Amino acid sequence: MNSLGLFYVSASIALLASFCVITQKNAVHALLYLIVSLLALALCFYLLGAPFAAALQIIVYAGAIMVLFVFAVMMFNINQQDIERESQWLSWQSWLGPSLLVTVLLVEVLFILQSQPAWTSTESQVTLIDAKAVGSLLFGPYLLAVEIASFLLLAGLVGGYHLAKALPHKPVNKEVNQP
Amino acid sequence: MTVPIEHGFVLVALLWAIGLIGLLARKNTLFMLMSMEIMLNAAALAFILAGSLWQQADGQIIYILIITVAAAEVGLGLALLIRLRAHVSDLNIDKLDELRG
Amino acid sequence: MPTLDLVLMIAAMVAILVPTAAMLVWFERRLLGFFQQRYGPNRVGYFGILQSLADLIKILFKHDWIPPFADRPVFVLAPLIGALAVLMSFAVVPMSPNLMVSDSNIGLLFFLAMTSMAVYSVVLAGWASNNKYALLGGMRAAAQTISYEVFMGVSLLGVVILSGSFKLSDIVLAQQNMWYVIPQFLGFVIFMIAGIAESHRLPFDLPEAETELTAGFHTEYSGIKFALFFLGEYLGMMLISMMITTVFLGGWLGPWLPPIVWFLLKTLSLICFFVLLRAALPRPRFDQLLELGWKWILPLALLNLVATAFVKLWGDF
Repeated sequence: MNSLGLFYVSASIALLASFCVITQKNAVHALLYLIVSLLALALCFYLLGAPFAAALQIIVYAGAIMVLFVFAVMMFNINQQDIERESQWLSWQSWLGPSLLVTVLLVEVLFILQSQPAWTSTESQVTLIDAKAVGSLLFGPYLLAVEIASFLLLAGLVGGYHLAKALPHKPVNKEVNQP
Repeated sequence: MTVPIEHGFVLVALLWAIGLIGLLARKNTLFMLMSMEIMLNAAALAFILAGSLWQQADGQIIYILIITVAAAEVGLGLALLIRLRAHVSDLNIDKLDELRG
Repeated sequence: MPTLDLVLMIAAMVAILVPTAAMLVWFERRLLGFFQQRYGPNRVGYFGILQSLADLIKILFKHDWIPPFADRPVFVLAPLIGALAVLMSFAVVPMSPNLMVSDSNIGLLFFLAMTSMAVYSVVLAGWASNNKYALLGGMRAAAQTISYEVFMGVSLLGVVILSGSFKLSDIVLAQQNMWYVIPQFLGFVIFMIAGIAESHRLPFDLPEAETELTAGFHTEYSGIKFALFFLGEYLGMMLISMMITTVFLGGWLGPWLPPIVWFLLKTLSLICFFVLLRAALPRPRFDQLLELGWKWILPLALLNLVATAFVKLWGDF
């Protein structure tokens, strides 16, 4: 099978898995589908000549961020009651409005894509952009972006630390529990 | 070995639409976060496609920045959700309107 | 037809690796017996060499029970993910100049990616068992593996700086004058510690600590599924030994003997070292493990990275 066929197969897997994510009732099953979708996209990245991004997608996205998700869901301790409530919320009426609106948007986007003349004349070969090219660009012209990204991560760290601290023992906003 | 770029962009649009439908239709905050991840990934694929189209490494750099944003967002979002689970056990987004004036 | 060759090669690899991992179980038990001045398995065949076969037959005929309270699909999927992720990593290991399935130019990244996928096996097994000990084991595994993955990646970056490539055969060839264990000694030690933690070997087997969590994440597993976890662990130990050999100990390079013999000798001595560690060291507490990781190993790994980059730039000017 050539790489074009592989691209279509992994693209369909990504679409199918993403669809399963938003329709699942059990959070862990939805997460597993999300991981499958990410891995399929990683294959797409590889086929598009971006092997470094593909590796990062698996190592960082599927391997670390999603583990964090699974970890949190394990702490939520999902039980049968949660799953039943999810299936109550997922009535067909709740899908109708969003699906209609988004379909209209999607048709618009596809129309715009189709009417772009420049993209139809694409290169005949996928060129490989390796990690070295990305690295020298990242620590050259984009150095400021790297610094800002590190500030963002630091902010995330401080925020996570703050949220993980134990609450003081005064009643905090008990009204939230009432319907 | 050529992948038609416009087909790649159709994939981006479809993934983004799926994510948006999920974000609008689900009530559970956890599932909304997951839908946002799908949309982020659609955006990332768009950048990789653009990088592949113009044969520049810039697309992959923006992808790395997207991953950074996703990591910070997920870390904080999940910490907030774990806090939230103590108050709103079903994580219903409709119950989180306490801030309205 | 190159595809057929590839399929045959992969089949041969699997057909060699899986029985080797089974033999490793016997080897480890014998060696442990030797270290601890007892016999170990010595009844079945010469020196007990057929013990693994006997164990395999026994485990295959056991009742393959899925607990009624478990989440069935995830419960079945979890052991498969672990064994598959480890087996796939072997694809990029260069055993000799021409004996490797794929000499990818992101080989090292592929190895890291597959190790990070192996976490899911333990985490999902812990969750799907629907049992508090298994869940605690799974959560420990998640925290431990996310932490040690970071150090593993950072410790390898020093080698990447020196060799200038993610391609494993390039890394081996760059060690012709000097093995990277000498200029990258800190990276070597950190990678070894992280590797033990990643494959959940003793002394870092906290996800399955028998004394506190009964058996941790695989409490509910039996029969062939348990065998898959077991296989995954021993394949993981082999993989880590092979990676240390490739990245730090010069891979197949060595005088007189053929390359593959050198590679296997180095790997085998590392495996013996891991067994010795298991026999000699007690298990730390979980908070001690994470504290060691984040407060000591991470700064050391970053220091190693910065120093290596500095030396490399100094040499270039």
